[in-house]
Amino acid sequence: MYRIKEHPILKSFQKGRLVKFEFDGNVMEGFEGEPISVALKANGVMVHRYTKKHSQPRGVFCSIGRCTDCVMIVDGQTNVRTCITPLAEGMKIETQYGVLNKR
Amino acid sequence: MSKIIGRALKKDDFVEMPDDHIIICRCEEITKGEIRRAIYEGMYTMNEIKRYLRVGMGLCQGQTCNKLVKAIVAKELGLDMKDIEIPIPRSPARPIAMKAYADDGYMR
Amino acid sequence: MERFELIVIGAGPAGLSAAIEAASCGMSVIVFDENTRPGGQLFKQIHKFFGSKEHKAKERGFNIGKNLLNEAEELGVRVELDSTVMGIFRNKEISVMKNDSVKHFKGNSIVIATGASENMVPFKGWTLPGVIGAGAAQTMMNIHGIKPGNRVLMVGSGNVGLVVGYQLIQAGCILEAIIDAAPRVGGYGVHAAKLARIGVPFYMSHTIKLAQGIDRVEGAIIVEVDKSWKPVSGSEKTLEVDTICIAVGLSPMSQLVRLAGCKTLDDPKKGGIVPLCNEYGETSISGIYAAGDVAGIEEASSAMIQGKIAGAAASKDQGYISEDEFKARQKKLENSLLQLREGMFGHKSTAQVTHTDEGYELSHSLLKKGYISDTELSHYPGIPTEDDLKDGLVPVIECTQNIPCNPCQDACPKGCIKVGDNITNLPSIETSVKCSGCGMCVVSCSGQAIFLVKQNHSPGYGLVSLPYEFSPLPDVGDIGYALDRLGNVVSKAEVISIKKTPVMDETAVLTMKVPSNLTMKARFFKPAMKEEKII
Repeated sequence: MYRIKEHPILKSFQKGRLVKFEFDGNVMEGFEGEPISVALKANGVMVHRYTKKHSQPRGVFCSIGRCTDCVMIVDGQTNVRTCITPLAEGMKIETQYGVLNKR
Repeated sequence: MSKIIGRALKKDDFVEMPDDHIIICRCEEITKGEIRRAIYEGMYTMNEIKRYLRVGMGLCQGQTCNKLVKAIVAKELGLDMKDIEIPIPRSPARPIAMKAYADDGYMR
Repeated sequence: MERFELIVIGAGPAGLSAAIEAASCGMSVIVFDENTRPGGQLFKQIHKFFGSKEHKAKERGFNIGKNLLNEAEELGVRVELDSTVMGIFRNKEISVMKNDSVKHFKGNSIVIATGASENMVPFKGWTLPGVIGAGAAQTMMNIHGIKPGNRVLMVGSGNVGLVVGYQLIQAGCILEAIIDAAPRVGGYGVHAAKLARIGVPFYMSHTIKLAQGIDRVEGAIIVEVDKSWKPVSGSEKTLEVDTICIAVGLSPMSQLVRLAGCKTLDDPKKGGIVPLCNEYGETSISGIYAAGDVAGIEEASSAMIQGKIAGAAASKDQGYISEDEFKARQKKLENSLLQLREGMFGHKSTAQVTHTDEGYELSHSLLKKGYISDTELSHYPGIPTEDDLKDGLVPVIECTQNIPCNPCQDACPKGCIKVGDNITNLPSIETSVKCSGCGMCVVSCSGQAIFLVKQNHSPGYGLVSLPYEFSPLPDVGDIGYALDRLGNVVSKAEVISIKKTPVMDETAVLTMKVPSNLTMKARFFKPAMKEEKII
């Protein structure tokens, strides 16, 4: 429901093949090579992490890799900026709590 | 460039404001109230506030909050925005893995 | 450590232009950019640019970006992506991080073209997912083809807010409102008018009080502010939005400039801390230049020229071009730059302009609500008189502010439109010349402020031709609604023709049939919903 089907100026968007990935244990689909955050958004995921001090939800903010608000755990690696990290088939993406890879 | 600021502590008492709970530094989760309180505790420059609270020391390195903190300091100390210096930037300008930084200069 | 004659930091419009200019003089150039794609923000700019032909006016930003990249490639400029410059040290040495390893490079000259970062406004709930920067919205929808949300509130009425607001609608979002704490619209009136006629409400002297929602934005409360920027209690309005987009200005990204030890100054007119530069963009450190937004917030068009000047200056420093050759190049570029800085939005202007350079009073309604009121309209030189309208087809140019832009003048093959030598002049129409109705002026206007009007087409009906950039494109014969300048339905309308050729660059000219007395009011066509009966 968020993907733009027909754009008046840009027409269509070049995308890789459709692949499956995992988000907090759920299987989802996205296009290979697009930022992880875009694939998540297309699946309606908004909350990427909960902050360390106040456990507040955060998601995409700058979308160009500067603000680091969108970081998540990707294939076990914490603090991965999902707005600039390309999606790959079979990726395991997890909501991050705090800054470490544990709840 | 920067005005010489009197080091005497602010005479008036710290009064809480209704918007004190608003987060200013998103990375380090520091509120407007904490920054205001730091000023009342004698931190008059942005460098001091940074070291005291970690404002602007998170992953984005003050990219978002420097201007916001500056505005708070200006208001509290009755200064002009342009008389307040933002913290000195240092290399590395962006977050980097310690491992990568430690390898700097290592020839493979 | 590798050595280059010129190191450019940032592959945006300024950096690429500097690299191209220097490489064309024969220098060995390397460009570093921390992003995965080159072009800076150019590839997100899907609107047509302002300026004159030499500024690539009426070309869309992403196409300008493509051309710059091609040019750089042809000249053999090395562009290193995903390469973050971590520091600038003594003797023009830099350290660059790529793939988790750090390398050092040395340049005879350095051009810093790191661009800008977005300003933010803190409010309760601004850390919630769904509150995003305007740049983020552009990246999502124009690069990755995903809507940032369905119902959006835009905070900020500068050109970024207005342009991104329009792009959100093009992407299929609903723009609930544009708000700004300032009492008047900050960006070009023509950009505001494009939104107002689609029905986007403008709330000037309004700020955002809070974002509602537990783990994502579910609404926004806005509040009016008085002259001293204090919220007026009781004036709160709740907007049902899932996205809040912040467009409250840009700041020069000057960390590297400061790291390098260049002298800086805090100049609010330039957006914040900028390096002290001479007329060629050279900082207080000889051989280190700054170009583009990092040297002061402007448009991409000016950034490209500044980049070229810096590139040429570095070439001169190192003997690739003579002093005379440099002076000649620089003078031409300087003039071109000065043209862009003219007008009420230019570098030197103050915010409280009340009249155009020609002496016309600015439209109050345009500054307050985003559209020109009927009573103000007839004041301007691009608007035909009652008599002109009786004669047949005429262009109507609703361009009422001094903006550096003149493609409309060249677009008319008949010579109906005149801007003159000063590109910030308001265009005027020459009604003694017969308009052929080709529509080229309509599509050439980056502000989409030109319409063709024929008051008497058939008994009781007239025609209005307007620029149309939305999907799906209506078909001839479609019945829908005619909207006036503030987005209200004024009558039903029938699409009489749709014209779209490659030279029009994706802007269609839609001609609709409306009652004769509404031809000077109807300014947008809204297609009817499927199955909807139009009465």
